Amino acid sequence: LNGSFLLAALLCAALGLTLSHLPSRAVVATCAALLVSALGAAALWQSDLLPKDAVRIACSVSIAVTAAAVHVPRGVSRWAALALGANAGLCLGALTAETGSALILLALPLVLLAFPGAWIARRGYGIGLKVACAWLIAIGLMTGALPLLTTPGYQKAHME
Amino acid sequence: VRGWRSAAAFIALSAAAPALAHEDSSVSGGFAAGLLHPLAGADHLLAMVAVGLWGAYLGRPLIYVLPIVFPTVMAVGGILGMAALGALPVELGIAASVLLLGALVAASKSLPVWAACLIVGLFGLFHGFAHGQELPVSADPVGYSAGFMLSTGSLHLAGIALGLLTGLSGPLRNVPRVLGGVIAVAGIWFLYRAATG
Repeated sequence: LNGSFLLAALLCAALGLTLSHLPSRAVVATCAALLVSALGAAALWQSDLLPKDAVRIACSVSIAVTAAAVHVPRGVSRWAALALGANAGLCLGALTAETGSALILLALPLVLLAFPGAWIARRGYGIGLKVACAWLIAIGLMTGALPLLTTPGYQKAHME
Repeated sequence: VRGWRSAAAFIALSAAAPALAHEDSSVSGGFAAGLLHPLAGADHLLAMVAVGLWGAYLGRPLIYVLPIVFPTVMAVGGILGMAALGALPVELGIAASVLLLGALVAASKSLPVWAACLIVGLFGLFHGFAHGQELPVSADPVGYSAGFMLSTGSLHLAGIALGLLTGLSGPLRNVPRVLGGVIAVAGIWFLYRAATG
């Protein structure tokens, strides 16, 4: 559950940071889309129909794409934000169904990072959000590749 | 004199550190392990700080572009390392990154945006490749990756904070260049170790 919850948390955080540049009404609409799609997917999907690796890859790619949206010049549009919110909700719902634990949904409040993010952006430090999103993109790329690769794992470190 | 003593002590510590670099390879692969991993290797640590220092010296836009380029390319390098694609001379590349980045900071060298991104991206590939090979095969790879990136990014920020001392007046403004020199000297030691195997 730890890894799954962390994926959900990172995805919600990425969405929150992406929403930082949008007006409050758009943020609220996106949060609603996130909530509806997450609860709907969690209720409707069955764990035996969801391949674990596919869910993790989808979540990781979604983290990278959502975080990359911060780098769109002038920010994402409201419709794009809605789509990202609905997609994040579907990922959270899939994770919830796959793990069988509703604790995944506790990551949802992290989307509220949009509000401190907006505060930071208004004060001219929006670049900090972009740097944070670069870290999220990197995490998304690496965790997305993990299920596809057999990692060497615990090899001797390069300077040993 | 005190400054030179401090610098000499730092060099000695840097020279001693490689023997301990990433010594504990038996740690469990969770968030904490990922967080601590970049801090456990002097080569990685110094290169990350140097990226921040150089970015701070170069100013906008590189002060924030370099900390964006490095982790992104590092992730690509990590994937290549995990897949064991190709055979990069990892030790030499990382040692060269410490040497060159330290030297660029010490010399206060300005380069065009594309050139700075190319250099930092290339070195990010080596660092990512090395750490991709070391990524835990089981446990909690998501937590490990998150901790690792957070730690790497924090080292960049530490470098930027130190680099901003150049904006001060008085002797403190020379601290980043001195640090760059120390990092370059450590890079020479890493290069020697990597070359002699």
